[in-house]
Amino acid sequence: MKHLLLKLEPLIWLLFGQGILLGTLLLTGWVLILGIAAPLGIVAPLDFEQAHALASSFIGRVVLAGVIVLPLWKGAHHMRHVSIDMGGAERDTVVAPLLYAVALFGSVAGVIAVIRI
Amino acid sequence: MSRPAHPHAMQPKRPGRTRTAPPQLPPQFPMSGRYRAYTLFDWTGLIYLLLGFMALEIVWAVGSGPAAWAAITARFENPVYIAFHILAFVSVIFVGVRFFRFFPKSQPPRIGPVKPPPQPVILAGLYAAWIGVTAVFAFILSGGLSG
Amino acid sequence: MADRPKKKFIVTRFDPETDEVPKTQEYEIPVEPDWKVLDALNFIKDEIDGTLSHRWSCRMAVCGSCGMMVDGEPKLTCKEALSQYGDTVEVSPLSNFPIIRDLVVDLDGFMDKFQAVKPWIIRAKERAVEEGPMRQSPEELEEFKQFSMCINCMLCYSACPVVANEPDFLGPAAIALGHRYNVDSRDEGADARNEVFRGEGTVFSCSFANECSEVCPKHVDPAAAVNQAKFNAVIDWAKGLVLPRGGKE
Repeated sequence: MKHLLLKLEPLIWLLFGQGILLGTLLLTGWVLILGIAAPLGIVAPLDFEQAHALASSFIGRVVLAGVIVLPLWKGAHHMRHVSIDMGGAERDTVVAPLLYAVALFGSVAGVIAVIRI
Repeated sequence: MSRPAHPHAMQPKRPGRTRTAPPQLPPQFPMSGRYRAYTLFDWTGLIYLLLGFMALEIVWAVGSGPAAWAAITARFENPVYIAFHILAFVSVIFVGVRFFRFFPKSQPPRIGPVKPPPQPVILAGLYAAWIGVTAVFAFILSGGLSG
Repeated sequence: MADRPKKKFIVTRFDPETDEVPKTQEYEIPVEPDWKVLDALNFIKDEIDGTLSHRWSCRMAVCGSCGMMVDGEPKLTCKEALSQYGDTVEVSPLSNFPIIRDLVVDLDGFMDKFQAVKPWIIRAKERAVEEGPMRQSPEELEEFKQFSMCINCMLCYSACPVVANEPDFLGPAAIALGHRYNVDSRDEGADARNEVFRGEGTVFSCSFANECSEVCPKHVDPAAAVNQAKFNAVIDWAKGLVLPRGGKE
């Protein structure tokens, strides 16, 4: 398992890096509007027709896939660091695959979600 | 007062001639001094995981029809969700500021023949992209493109 | 010596022949206004307690010998003015290292990691003397010069949370120095070093705490080196996917 993790590390790090970079770029407006401004009524929430029209465009699907997938890899990788920093070097061969499996599951579900719009 | 580090931290391959005392953690780790910002930065991973799965929920609802969309819109009006998103917004800003501070110096001096731009230019570019993407996304998500 | 102000020093002591675990010992000594922390330790050893063991040499922050924790932070004791500290100063051995005695830590673990990154110019074919010296432009030198300023003082290892928790991690100075050679235009050994960088001591263990760069007394910025090394390792990996190295797999 340790050897597999070492082999996959460059890919995981790339996903994690883009999770921070692109994920943060995308999430700022996303959280601001969908999480705060729309629920509080500061802006009008999107109705279903508007949301569906935006989401079903090609670029909409790509962006939405990014908003789902990228933060998951950033999150998983950082939670792995949290585990290690709490003295978890020995349990890393269990914790890391678990976290990355969660990110992978979410990523696959995310791709399915944008395809089925 | 001092807490042990990993028992094999910095251990040499061959044992020395005398018994050594085990390595100790830096006293300010993990939540004092500069380590606090670092530890919180790592913990934002939990926020990002939750945001990713909530984004999945939203997109799944869009693909499921008007009833699902109405249900999730209503759920996001729950004060607990709004409080979480305020925390999430602060976290995302914190992540962006810290990461952008470090990003320019992490670029290799050259990739093949290509040199990266000077570090201040990279930093300015990152913030310009952040503000630009946020503004565009916020405009679109507020219905700016729709009728 | 009359009327010099006094400071109290709480110093870690450990004698492997008599002590189960390290303990502290207090010394109250008169101090001079222009002293560094090292001057106080040398005074203690010379005038009060000759059994105190600590490393030091150049007294001017170039040899890297005198690294210790001062009030909980890794410092070069010859560099830090005593006047910036309060009336009580805690001095302990560098964090994250096994302790040999008192303020002296075992650095052999670093030597193992350092050797592993092959910190020397590697050439595919040695250059003949008749060919003359290798030439390098000032621009080429600038690409790695800052990383060559490392004095192996180990403050970065003391500050790094990954060194504290992952024994295999190569660590800031070793990676910075390996990277220094990878970026050196005279070097042709990046393949060999990238194997080490992606091995058990993997550069990707670095979580970019940046503490190494914060504590580095020579402004090497090892965090920059480690993270540049990650980028280069990814490029190396990507190249390996597209163009498998002949005969190496």
